[in-house]
Amino acid sequence: MTALKNPGLPGGRSFDTVVYASSGLNYAGVSSLNQYQVFDTPDPAFVTGRLDISVFANLGASVPWPFTNADVPVNGLLCIPRGRGPFPLALFAHGNHDPFENSTPGYRYLCELLASHGILAGTIDVNFLNGFNFGENDARAIVHLEHVKQFQRWNSTHSHPLHRKVDLDRILLVGHSRGGEGVGHASLFNRLNAIQPDAFSPVVPLDGSAGLGPYHFTLSAVAAIAPTDRQYEPLTGPTVVPDRYFLIHGSQDGDVSTFEGCNTYSRTHGVDLANPTVSDGRLKALLWVIGADHNQFNSVWAPEFSPGPVISRADQEQVAKVELGALAQLLLLGRGRYLRVLKDHAAATLWMPAGSRLVSQYQDPRRLFAQHNQEGLAPPEVSAPVLGTVASSGVQATRQLVDLVNAGAPVPTITLRLEWATLGGRFALDINPSTLPADQFKTLSLRVGQSTEAQNPVGQDQDLTLEVSCGSRTAAVRASSLHRLLYPDVVFGTGKTVMQTLRLPLKRLARRGLEIRDLRSIALVFDRRPAGAIYVGEIQLSD
Amino acid sequence: MQSPTPPNAVGVEVVATRPTAADSAVIDHLTRTAGRVLAPVTYLVKVRLDPVPPATSMGWALYVDDFRVPKYWEYPEGVYFTTVDPQFFQEHRGGRLRFSSNGTDFIDTGLVLSEADVVSRDAAELPDQADVLRSG
Repeated sequence: MTALKNPGLPGGRSFDTVVYASSGLNYAGVSSLNQYQVFDTPDPAFVTGRLDISVFANLGASVPWPFTNADVPVNGLLCIPRGRGPFPLALFAHGNHDPFENSTPGYRYLCELLASHGILAGTIDVNFLNGFNFGENDARAIVHLEHVKQFQRWNSTHSHPLHRKVDLDRILLVGHSRGGEGVGHASLFNRLNAIQPDAFSPVVPLDGSAGLGPYHFTLSAVAAIAPTDRQYEPLTGPTVVPDRYFLIHGSQDGDVSTFEGCNTYSRTHGVDLANPTVSDGRLKALLWVIGADHNQFNSVWAPEFSPGPVISRADQEQVAKVELGALAQLLLLGRGRYLRVLKDHAAATLWMPAGSRLVSQYQDPRRLFAQHNQEGLAPPEVSAPVLGTVASSGVQATRQLVDLVNAGAPVPTITLRLEWATLGGRFALDINPSTLPADQFKTLSLRVGQSTEAQNPVGQDQDLTLEVSCGSRTAAVRASSLHRLLYPDVVFGTGKTVMQTLRLPLKRLARRGLEIRDLRSIALVFDRRPAGAIYVGEIQLSD
Repeated sequence: MQSPTPPNAVGVEVVATRPTAADSAVIDHLTRTAGRVLAPVTYLVKVRLDPVPPATSMGWALYVDDFRVPKYWEYPEGVYFTTVDPQFFQEHRGGRLRFSSNGTDFIDTGLVLSEADVVSRDAAELPDQADVLRSG
């Protein structure tokens, strides 16, 4: 791996760790909350105010919090790199858990990693929203954004140690579990001046006039670790994340066992049928970690009993450090070469625990879909404005609105299902090359995943050949030479079909003599396995 | 997949309470937008669970028939949600309380929502929500 360094290893910068917290807290006065006493004595320079989130949330009545929903604290643990700065900011938020266990320190291992690379990294206290409750993830988002506002305030306060040390143009919000759903809402709320949380509530100003906001921060990305989806739903409909989006989830997750973040991912930066060539300019990427559970992403949460993790806590934390480290290197530190890790997890193979089994997806903001399948459930077609026809032989090709990952909620995107029963089947897009300016792109990209349907032998990789033709020349590339198409890890029910993005560099085709600007056919040829059933996401050209 | 054990609801009751400041803002809002004058009352709908499940990220949405309660909260004996609009009880009188973790599969609790008593007392005579929730 050329000059890229393992982003999961500590950098060379020293850092200090401080506790920030609201004044007047007295957790010590409540014996059952002794884990929170760390917030009773914040660093004197890092004393914060309170928030009134009563429009968004109650605190329940099972935990004797020493405050109400009208004056919740702004608490966190912060790693501050030494040096002049300004430093980018990364803020982690935990999810729902036993409120008598302080979940906040669980991301210190990630904060310390990022701080050692020159990033202000904090993990925030949202424990007061924890309990057997439901629907409060809008409040988690508001709390997360208010923490960013706190850093904005410190950055502009002359006497404060963080004065001019916060790079407010480079901010990453990371949330785990319900906090992972929360960062999606935060991305949305960040752009608003007001919100009506639900049909019964009044409009809440988010412009500072009533205590909350203003926001409008420059969010470099939001990242969700094993998130929930749609527990809170804005009146405008399911949240569509407007910023860059990264998602990581484990196949052995015994809490959010439905991989519903996949639906958040699908809604985000999707194709606009009215303007299919127009991109919103933002990437998204996901990593599916086979064997990882839910709780081990938080270092203080005990692993869940069922199904239980297959990989160790140390290995799971290493995966998180490499991926989130790469994301931070790319988007917070401007080291563009780490994009290759998001584009293809194989770029990080040497840094991952030995034997890691991973599936990744990447959607580049520069793309042109040859087939996105979102036109409807009619037979597959080449997607406008690209012109062409679909030809299939020996293959059953159907579009399906299918829940590939057992998310258990309305599925937002249509997928192409291809089934074959004999060798040699073929599914091809025959394209009018004048409508597909392939020479303006670098990669032919598609997502492919096999299911647990009977056509696929249990436990075996699936495979096929990608055949690309330009005029009289044709190049054939085994899909498995780009990535394994793993059999799903069957943990719950029928297992989850998580598609793998296959990226075929157009240069590779050009080296084989293909005239890229004359690309006339993209075919999936089923000549590697005698039978199978796969699902295909969009076929596209991208960077 | 459903979470392994759905909540086991064993009782429901509605208690009229004194509105919080946030509730009062909702009452003002609904009075303005719905054109009806609402009394300064917050109704707590308490759903007793046995046992109260542990806090997990995966959640169980609570429905009254097909209406999804936007938010609910924990108290020592179960969960509760609030409404300031007595019409809610008229619209959902006899509605089945159901839990769902995915919006498609439902667990019927066997409980139904009863209509709240009409409260004519002065708000100052109503109990605090904290007291009602603390007392179980």
